[in-house]
Amino acid sequence: MRLVRAELLKIRTTNAWWLFGLGALVMLALAFLVNAVNAIQLLNNPEDVPAMSPEQAEQVRAQADVVFQAANLYTSGQFFGLLFVMLLGIVVVTNEFYHQTATTTFLATPRRTAVVLAKLVTAALFGAVFWLVTTALTIPSTMIFFAVKDFDNHFGDWEITRALLLNLLAYVLWGIFGVGFGVLIRSQIGATITAVVLYLLGTTAASIIFTLLRVWLDAEWISELQVIVPSIASQLMITGTELPGSPPQWVGAAVLIGYAVVTGTIGTLIVRRRDIG
Amino acid sequence: MSDGQIVVSGLTKHYRNVRAVDNLSFTVEPGRVTGFLGPNGAGKTTTLRMILNLVTPTAGAATIGGQRYADLAEPLRHVGAVLEASSAHKGRTGLNHLRVVAAGAGLPRQRADEVLAMVGLTPAAKRKFKGYSLGMRQRLGIATAMLGDPKVLILDEPANGLDPEGIRWMRDFLKSLAAQGRTVLVSSHLLSEMQLLADDLVIIAAGQLITQGPVDEVMGSMSGNTQVRVRTPQAEALTGVLAAQQATVTPGGDGALLVTGVDAPTVGRAALTAGVELHELTTERPDLERVFLDLTAGKAGIR
Ligand SMILES: Nc1ncnc2c1ncn2[C@@H]1O[C@H](COP(=O)(O)OP(=O)(O)OP(=O)(O)O)[C@@H](O)[C@H]1O
Ligand SMILES: [Mg+2]
Repeated sequence: MRLVRAELLKIRTTNAWWLFGLGALVMLALAFLVNAVNAIQLLNNPEDVPAMSPEQAEQVRAQADVVFQAANLYTSGQFFGLLFVMLLGIVVVTNEFYHQTATTTFLATPRRTAVVLAKLVTAALFGAVFWLVTTALTIPSTMIFFAVKDFDNHFGDWEITRALLLNLLAYVLWGIFGVGFGVLIRSQIGATITAVVLYLLGTTAASIIFTLLRVWLDAEWISELQVIVPSIASQLMITGTELPGSPPQWVGAAVLIGYAVVTGTIGTLIVRRRDIG
Repeated sequence: MSDGQIVVSGLTKHYRNVRAVDNLSFTVEPGRVTGFLGPNGAGKTTTLRMILNLVTPTAGAATIGGQRYADLAEPLRHVGAVLEASSAHKGRTGLNHLRVVAAGAGLPRQRADEVLAMVGLTPAAKRKFKGYSLGMRQRLGIATAMLGDPKVLILDEPANGLDPEGIRWMRDFLKSLAAQGRTVLVSSHLLSEMQLLADDLVIIAAGQLITQGPVDEVMGSMSGNTQVRVRTPQAEALTGVLAAQQATVTPGGDGALLVTGVDAPTVGRAALTAGVELHELTTERPDLERVFLDLTAGKAGIR
């Protein structure tokens, strides 16, 4: 516990946390705006979308659901919020090497597993705080928005509550990924850039690859496999309604927990064995 | 932990193609300053990091007061260390750095202020680390090591970057710690400084122990290298007499003669008997630098 306190103090005594927090808030505002515009579009004229293939039309109809849009608005900012939480997790580890404080840290606590655990807990806590702050902002904003537009905000519905809670889980788990990632790539700049590129490009690239595969093999189930990409799994977790062609929300959660356990364990094992200095 | 003895036994570390440390054994006693010497790349840093459980030995072990570092329940209360490639977050203030370490080690928060005052950094307490000079950084490192009021101190090249004033401060500080009964193990390149500071010496080269013991003993073991410097207008005559006494005489360059194999009184008596006039007669003890270079000759060099 005192190690977690020390880790929190480490973050509080530097600038990283509020820079990332600020970044997350700016992206949150943008995301909410985009989502709101989207919601007006889909909820007001559900039939007014250029129809493509039957499946796509079905997708659009599913999204034109108020509950779906409400969940989407309540959890606005997740995409970049998760990125910032992961970056914070990365920094929690790579700072020790970048600023050469690893020696001091491991001199004070030779039980390295305890140090890594403290970092995992700290990153998870920060994920929870990010979730708390963003959710505290999106809930009233969504309610006001829906009140103005005269829709039922559905707050308190199980679908919405589930989306919010699974969103919390996503924030926590991405903090853990960040720590694991930072252990794997010790260089601060290397780890940060790799993570950002993988997150932004990887998500898109994976979507494209899965779409191509689906068309090529002509098999619907391929697109359900997309859930093995962590960022896509996170997006799945916060949908309010089940979308056609997507597995249920809990699958996303299971996938993410699996990744978190793997990255956390590998990270711990590596740190235990590594020579410092 | 009643006793702060450090015992290194059979310590070995192989990197891919270097034997950084090779079956090294020595002991470090409490109440004394022990100088840890060796040419560049001898394996000093690697040895100290193995003692502190930062680097895993290929073979062998090291204990502090009978326990391995990893087994110490509250390591900072027993051992303080100042190591190379150890630093603080550039954007954190010196005081906050110490508070973070204290929090992680379960030490009271006000220890941070106390050790900062101990090393004279209180005026810079609220300044960020990136604005610290080299000497200030070394002092912060020592403050960090002193946080837990440890019985054992391990320092890797602590004099690096210190000005003469700082070096003197460091010397007095370390000597006073040893005088309080603490164990002080300090590696250094500054041999003249070591001669002033250390009570015991451990000398290694190429990862292996060369010699270990009290400074006088180590120097004494090389007393064969003591030489006598004489200056005389009758160099040839004196050389003749001394050669008869099994002494070796070599020209000293500046007109003086360097005599080895006999002591100064013998030279003086021989000169008197032979009626040779002397202008200078001094015993030149080898300094630590000479001893060190002789001992590590052929083993130095970057590996
Ligand atoms: N992480 C590492 N990987 C590979 N080789 C290493 C590593 N660390 C040290 N070495 C090698 O081990 C040897 C001993 O290095 P070490 O740093 O212990 O020497 P040192 O006595 O502290 O030298 P100096 O006086 O220059 O500080 C060197 O040959 C070095 O190249
Ligand atoms: Mg060294």
